[in-house]
Amino acid sequence: MELFALEHKRLWRTTRVWLCVLLCFVYSVVWGSVVWNQWPGFGSTNDSTDMYDNNFDGYSNIRGFQEEFSQFGDEWTDETLQKMVAKYQSYDPMNRPGLRSMGDWILASGYLNKLYPELEDPEGQEYQPLIHYVDTTKLTDFYQRRADLLEFTLETTRQNEGMSEADKQMLLDMNSKIKEPWPYEWTQGWSDLSFGWSKMAPYLAIALAFVFSGEWYSNTAPLLHTTKYGWKKLARVKVLGGMAFALEFYLLIAGGKVLVQLIYFGTSGWDLPVQYISLLAVAPWNMLQAELYQLAFGLIGMFGYAGLVMLMSALAKNNVLALVFSLAFVYVPDVLGRYLPKWLMAVSQYLPLVGNSYDYLSYNIFHIFGMSVWSPWMLITVPFLIGVVCIPFAIKGWARRQKV
Amino acid sequence: MELSIDRLTKHYGRKIAVDRVSATLTPGVYGLLGANGAGKTTLMRMLCAILEPTSGEVRLDGKEIAAMGEDYRDVLGYLPQDFGYYPTYTAAEFLSYIAALKGIPRDRADRRVKELLGMLDLSAVADKKIKTFSGGMKQRVGIAQALLNNPQVLILDEPTSGLDPKERVRLRNLLSEYAGDKIVILSTHIVSDVEAIADEVLVMNAGRFIMQGTVVELAEQVRGKVWELTVPREQARFWQEDFTVANYRHEGEQVVLRIISDEEPSPDAAPCDPILDDAYLYQFGAKEA
Repeated sequence: MELFALEHKRLWRTTRVWLCVLLCFVYSVVWGSVVWNQWPGFGSTNDSTDMYDNNFDGYSNIRGFQEEFSQFGDEWTDETLQKMVAKYQSYDPMNRPGLRSMGDWILASGYLNKLYPELEDPEGQEYQPLIHYVDTTKLTDFYQRRADLLEFTLETTRQNEGMSEADKQMLLDMNSKIKEPWPYEWTQGWSDLSFGWSKMAPYLAIALAFVFSGEWYSNTAPLLHTTKYGWKKLARVKVLGGMAFALEFYLLIAGGKVLVQLIYFGTSGWDLPVQYISLLAVAPWNMLQAELYQLAFGLIGMFGYAGLVMLMSALAKNNVLALVFSLAFVYVPDVLGRYLPKWLMAVSQYLPLVGNSYDYLSYNIFHIFGMSVWSPWMLITVPFLIGVVCIPFAIKGWARRQKV
Repeated sequence: MELSIDRLTKHYGRKIAVDRVSATLTPGVYGLLGANGAGKTTLMRMLCAILEPTSGEVRLDGKEIAAMGEDYRDVLGYLPQDFGYYPTYTAAEFLSYIAALKGIPRDRADRRVKELLGMLDLSAVADKKIKTFSGGMKQRVGIAQALLNNPQVLILDEPTSGLDPKERVRLRNLLSEYAGDKIVILSTHIVSDVEAIADEVLVMNAGRFIMQGTVVELAEQVRGKVWELTVPREQARFWQEDFTVANYRHEGEQVVLRIISDEEPSPDAAPCDPILDDAYLYQFGAKEA
């Protein structure tokens, strides 16, 4: 335990490590959450399309939106959509809020385009979005229209992309668990769940890539080899220290972002269905469940990636190589994606921090040993297993290279 | 306690670094002498069980050290030739870290660290980063870490390198005091260090022990082969070309040469008492040594 504490302390006290953590915190939490919410993300607009022209008033603006959209009731029904569109149309055409303002106008507009295409009048209303002129009395059967569109989309996928009938039925069964009518509050806050986990990779890699390979630069191998506990226990302690660091790093960033989210958006909106993010998603989850999934995805990704980085560190006798190989796992699939075979590209999505944490909005299903597995579960299982598998190989790899 | 080395051999491909070396070491200080590439470091690494021998074995009290594993390392202290350290650590932090690796309980480690810092004159810089230390100070930190667990077998590879004369004397005294009932093996190029503290000297060449004995015994091996000759300064160069000259001392316009030679180099040469340096030079010659 004492050795673990010392090794862990050694990791944290390295300038490179705390600088990485500080930079990541500033980038993700201070800039990516606080400043973003206060300014380009949710600041009030000044008739400009550039979000960086927004005012620095995100906090009060969000409160304003929450208040404004509470007038449409607490359930999403045909009437809600009608009232929302009518309200929008009631604004002076010259002073209507932009669809991309953080009101739910863009949500309503998107629903109209998807579910009521027959109401479009391209001849008379050229270049105008449907929400500007649609007859609100015709906005009926919202849930039935959604169900029909979902059925059509899944059938098209089945015919064109080889989805089986059983898979389609599995997705429809999931969809049937979504309770209707959906609860409603202003949606734009809690639906902004992005944690950007892949952006953590370079920071984690820089912090951990030198855990083992750094010992070569210190030339400590003969010394470590002759201590009572020797390299074997030290290797275990190093791996534990690396994992503890990954957890602490994760808690700092994720905790910071969640705290900022609670301060800016409060708890209002946690129980909204994820269908407000993607209308045709079939996951019967609310925003809180989706956020917990994203947090689990991030935590497991961090653990898995920490394992990978430490394996690279143990196998390479060179700090730079260890870092380059570690980063390659995340960025090569990204950069070379279009040149890789489709199967390899699909497999690479299961590397830690590489896959899409929004996959719960997709229809991907895998068949493993006769079982149909929804891809979001794979995306949090495989990276974890990769991390677990990497650990003994990292210890073994370092042991092999420790021979002096 | 007995450390027995039995026909220990190490090959690197076709190169033989250590060649069937045997010895039995009991408590005391052993000086390992030899030129660069003689196999001293390879031998020491095998004695520390960090290098696997090609053949032969090392036993501590009858047990093979490789098989003893943690038990052997628990009684071992080692200062590698190129001592690696963590530059951003302070001396005290580094020693505490190594103490933890050696499995020394925290309270005992704290006391021992303090004690060793004092013994090696590092107390004043205990909280300074090692990267700011001079070569000699770093070397003393290395010696301190080797002594942390109060080892029964202490192996020091070139411990006096980088130390100034005062520090060398201090280290020699410390090791002499420490040895007692322990086995201390130190390798060095500096014959006077070995002469001062070694109970027994092992001289290595081409991977083998070529001389073994006490300082006096080895020196006695060249009795009658050490001469002192006073010559004019301008002739000194010629004597150096033809003989192994162990020492060269000016006395006015004359030069006093200490010559190692089987034969009397000149009727004017006077025989003198041999020292370990002479025995070493007799084996290797001035240039090789």
